[in-house]
Amino acid sequence: MKTSAKIRATNLRALAACALAFILCLILLSLPVYGFSATVFTKKSGNTFVGDEKYLAARAEVEAAAQARAGETGSMPEIVENVTERTNSKGEKTSMVAFEVRETMRRTGWDFIRSGLTSGRVLLIVLICAAASLVCALVGAMGDLSTDWAALTGAPRVLRRLAGALALAALLLVPLFLMGNNLAFSRQIRLATDGYPKPALEALLPKLDRFLYGGAAGENTLSLMSGVSYRPCWTAWALLPVLAALAFGCVVVSEGRPGRTLQRAALYAFIIALCVVILYPYYVMFITAFRSNAETTDMYFQNLLPVKWVWSNMRDIIARGVPRFLLNSLMLSVGATAIALVCGIPAAYAMARMSFKGKKAFLGFVIMSQMFSPVVLLVGISQLMNTLRLNDTVWGLMLINAAFNQAFAIWLLRGTFVSISPEMEQAAHIDGCNTVSAMIRVLLPMAAPGIVTTLIFVFINAWNEYTISTVLISTNANKPITVGITQFSSFNMIEWQYLFAAALVATVPVVILFMAIEKHLAAGLTAGGVKG
Amino acid sequence: MNHIPIRHKWEPYVWLLPSLLLMSLFVVFPIVIVFKLSLSDISKSGIVGGLNHFANFRAVFRDPAFPVVMKNTLVWVVSVVGLSTLLGFITAMVLNAPFRGRKIARSIVVFPWATSLVIQASIWNYIIKFEYGNLNNVLMNLGLLRSAVNWRATYQIEFAWECGIGIFVTIPFVAFTVLAGLQSIDDAYYEAATVDGAGFWKKLRHVTIPLVKPSLTVSTVLNIIYVFNSFPIIYTITKGAPANKTDTLVTFLYMRAFYDNQKGAATAMSVIGFAILCVAAGAYMMIAMRKEEAL
Repeated sequence: MKTSAKIRATNLRALAACALAFILCLILLSLPVYGFSATVFTKKSGNTFVGDEKYLAARAEVEAAAQARAGETGSMPEIVENVTERTNSKGEKTSMVAFEVRETMRRTGWDFIRSGLTSGRVLLIVLICAAASLVCALVGAMGDLSTDWAALTGAPRVLRRLAGALALAALLLVPLFLMGNNLAFSRQIRLATDGYPKPALEALLPKLDRFLYGGAAGENTLSLMSGVSYRPCWTAWALLPVLAALAFGCVVVSEGRPGRTLQRAALYAFIIALCVVILYPYYVMFITAFRSNAETTDMYFQNLLPVKWVWSNMRDIIARGVPRFLLNSLMLSVGATAIALVCGIPAAYAMARMSFKGKKAFLGFVIMSQMFSPVVLLVGISQLMNTLRLNDTVWGLMLINAAFNQAFAIWLLRGTFVSISPEMEQAAHIDGCNTVSAMIRVLLPMAAPGIVTTLIFVFINAWNEYTISTVLISTNANKPITVGITQFSSFNMIEWQYLFAAALVATVPVVILFMAIEKHLAAGLTAGGVKG
Repeated sequence: MNHIPIRHKWEPYVWLLPSLLLMSLFVVFPIVIVFKLSLSDISKSGIVGGLNHFANFRAVFRDPAFPVVMKNTLVWVVSVVGLSTLLGFITAMVLNAPFRGRKIARSIVVFPWATSLVIQASIWNYIIKFEYGNLNNVLMNLGLLRSAVNWRATYQIEFAWECGIGIFVTIPFVAFTVLAGLQSIDDAYYEAATVDGAGFWKKLRHVTIPLVKPSLTVSTVLNIIYVFNSFPIIYTITKGAPANKTDTLVTFLYMRAFYDNQKGAATAMSVIGFAILCVAAGAYMMIAMRKEEAL
């Protein structure tokens, strides 16, 4: 247990750090945070070596231009010199010198805040949050600094917490400021110069004019802006560690356990990042499914959401045979699941409840069959199907899927059966039940969760299967959905909106099914391995 | 007593019969056909001749594309299995920790597992397009990129993307298998370790890893098999182009069998692939089990 004097000293240090961080933040905002540079004059001089007559003449010309510019604006622009040397086809050495007069404008954080740009507003909020967090921390700390954080109650506790939250908000808004600048200075300008007028731009241009040219550019702002390159100065990046220090100080004052808080923050950051990455393709699938064809292949026009939601894509894919594919998939998956379970349950039962010669051999056989994926055996499978006249039929797919899921079904079911005590069945035997009715009446109801898990698992495997179907099925009317959607992506043209609309319809039901068994699935997977 | 009484000696075999029949007909039979074809002469029109003294195998080994394909297969299997095991393990550890919204997070992590690989691959194929792909689009709309980046400039980069997508779709499987293992660990172990003064890393090294090892072994062996045989990702994104430089063994043999109509070479590759898989999975199991005994 820390003594109250120690706690007081730590908190005081943390508060001092907060105050220092805030002062640093103010200083950083007064320094230039962004640099904008534009080329005002260029001169290229061919066949010129550094120091020769031609070079000196060109140099003088460039310097004169720079001087003239300095007369206009009051600050001397920078002269950039680029020398390219190469050997020509005759083996002689040639050289070219390119001069550029670059003018750099720097803007401080205060300039941004005054500009009325969205990013400027974000910066203002950052500042307000930082200030508010410092105030909260100070007010919350007034009176008692020596109490353990856990013993704190009432206003001090709330204020200290608030201080941490505000500092964190300020920290997270800084990337937003940088991103907002990229949007305003690059993407919006680019869109406008490429001829995609955006309503947002009309409000943006006068602000940019005032911000960069003092209102002098007027109509020319757009053309001037497209020649401007920009980059954040070190001060913009330095805001991040400074605000992080502020947040950390606030956390120490409010919680007293910085290590644990940081750990939790890292945990949540990882989880959020993971979920964002996992959901990203689904987001893409969803929005693309409702875009117009023109929009799917037009990068500049695309927004984060469809400009216009084209619900008729769904109607179009219905006309293109998707219901038929779905029906085939459903038949195939239901059939495969039924066959796999009807064959798998007795086998799993025998494996779980009976001792007999060759039990290990059968288990080995099951595991071996997992080694061969259908892809590797496709030549054999298609020949067998030809012989059985099951080629190009849903029945053939059903049987193949059932057979290749047999191993997994037996594995999962055996695990379930083993985990259920056989006493009830043994009692049923004594009462004169035979083995079959003992299994059906006693075991299966108890094993229902495991059986449902297996059922859904096999169903989803069959539903998502692609490789066998693509080889075995050539008639359009017999295609399952996974093969059916490929008709939207021919060699030279892919109809992305239809492809993803169909994919969406095919994905949603199975994802929901899978979420339903998620809880049991993992347990079932290892139960078979660990027990028995 | 875990067993129920059996009335006749042959009774268990009757219970096994339907499953045995199904698998014999649709798994074993194709295997036999493939082995037979790999040793036979097959004409372009598909007429099977007599045995040809391993000519199919010799043709495969003489094929200049074969070494490239084998190298790709090795990179594919090692990178996808290795990284997805590592990342899946971390994901499982995180999903096992108590936090708000854990149920939702677990449901989300299961998504890639539930989605057809063709669909996942098609979406990623669209995402990484240069001219209009969604990755460029989103990054530019968020202001993170100034101009479009060609995310698939060379075939090496494309292959790296394919491996990345492979890892992405494999993580949930590993995560959930490991999670099952983690959940079965008794808290008493951790309490004892805490009493002994063990930190996070020591607990990980001496409690968590030894106890989830069985789950990890199961998931790794199954993963080696699944990833080695994985077909739709590469087939959808590059189809092995250019000139088989992004092919793995299974996509390569698929192309040989159904595009180039070289069934003999294709079945020979099936046999080679099976042999490799047996050795790799078998060796892994042996090493894993021996280590377990040593512990």
